[in-house]
Amino acid sequence: MHETASGRAAEHHALVCEDIHKSFGTLEVLKGVSLSAHKGDVIAMLGSSGSGKSTFLRCINLLETPNSGQVFVGGELIRMATDKRGEPQAVDRRQVERLRTRLAMVFQSFNLWSHMTVLQNVIEAPVHVLKKPKREAIEQAEALLEKVGIRARKNDYPAHLSGGQQQRVAIARALAMDPDVMLFDEPTSALDPELVNEVLKVIKDLAEEGRTMIVVTHEMGFAREVSTETVFLHEGRVEEAGPPQEVFEHPKSERFQQFLAGTLK
Amino acid sequence: MLDLQGYGPSILDGARLTVAVALVSLAIAMLLGLITALAKLSGMRAAVIAATVYTTIIRGVPDLVLMLLIFFGGQVLVNDLAPMVGYDEYVDINPFIAGCLTIGFIFGAYMGETFRGAILAVPVGLLEAGAAYGMSRGQVLIRILIPQMMRHALPGFGNNWLVLMKTTALVSVIGLEDMVRKAGLAAGATREPFPFYFAVGILFLAFTTLSVLALRWAEKHYSAGVRQV
Repeated sequence: MHETASGRAAEHHALVCEDIHKSFGTLEVLKGVSLSAHKGDVIAMLGSSGSGKSTFLRCINLLETPNSGQVFVGGELIRMATDKRGEPQAVDRRQVERLRTRLAMVFQSFNLWSHMTVLQNVIEAPVHVLKKPKREAIEQAEALLEKVGIRARKNDYPAHLSGGQQQRVAIARALAMDPDVMLFDEPTSALDPELVNEVLKVIKDLAEEGRTMIVVTHEMGFAREVSTETVFLHEGRVEEAGPPQEVFEHPKSERFQQFLAGTLK
Repeated sequence: MLDLQGYGPSILDGARLTVAVALVSLAIAMLLGLITALAKLSGMRAAVIAATVYTTIIRGVPDLVLMLLIFFGGQVLVNDLAPMVGYDEYVDINPFIAGCLTIGFIFGAYMGETFRGAILAVPVGLLEAGAAYGMSRGQVLIRILIPQMMRHALPGFGNNWLVLMKTTALVSVIGLEDMVRKAGLAAGATREPFPFYFAVGILFLAFTTLSVLALRWAEKHYSAGVRQV
């Protein structure tokens, strides 16, 4: 199953998605989206709301199971099949759980576990999923919290932090998995405007370190400045994709031009 | 002072049994309640139907009737079935086990409703975050869902527990020597019902008061991380 042509090509990529389709009921949200990321790529995904960009991101780690298409993580195909009722399902839960640890996700609404302190949030998955010794996980977590500038609040509960602080904790939680690819689902959309920059700066630093990232975002400036590739999704299809200098300077697609001009309906 | 005429130790023995029945029943009820809640929320047709039938029947039939039905009816059923599997001796159902199973079975239905509401109050995103970080379904359940839902479940859970504890008085009808039955025996022998039933009332009140204190502590414990408004 791994010996398909795309499988061989996928070996050289951190992440490959091939022709992803996803429908909710009769509504087809993704109509065949493909994307591949080399190690160190930062792919910014733009699109108006309803374009399918968040759904696509959630199809990568199978929070949504695609109706068809293939996902390769580090060259390994996530095996999927259709069940009796015609619903798509992962064949091997264990495989999905294992590959998800390689794909850390940062959510729009942070989704920190509110019954745990900041530090507990960061060590939870390393200790209970990766089975790291607790002492080692704590040391690593403290270093990561330092890096995102929030170590002083490590014993606080998430509810006592600002949105920007919570999102930085969520990024530390993702980094604690030492993931191959980080998935950002509109990481700044739920933040007050004055808190956006502190989060974008952290993500930018990660990009500069060479982290492989897929970032679904509304922040044009960020996409333009930080991404190695910008992808514009419209009505479930890739309308435009390429290096940011190219797509922002010379957009080929009319819809992307409208989107940039703020007139896309 | 209350004169128990030497029946004090006997009633205390009964009190120990009452507490044992209550705790074992509670454990059964919590397990059944969790299974019922998860079944109802699973979206799987068969599981939803089974859970709904269970809660509908249990909540619609008086506890006393269920107790008699399960203990005496269960006795007949077991003795009818035993020869089929090649067992010819008469099977006596242990009333302690029967009592705990019945009460656990009854309160499992109530706990199921309490837990279902509490689970629905947990933000889906927190469970998704668990899955996204590679947790198995069991880990998401134990590490995230249960601690998160306890805060929402505790008020209803506390109610159920207090009623459950008082329902243990019913086990006296199937011959268990709990404190209510011991008090009844003492009252019959001395022809002075008041002091014995009064003592039992006080003991129940003591147990429920302790429970309320424990529940208050638990609510505080499970509300850690919730901003006080």
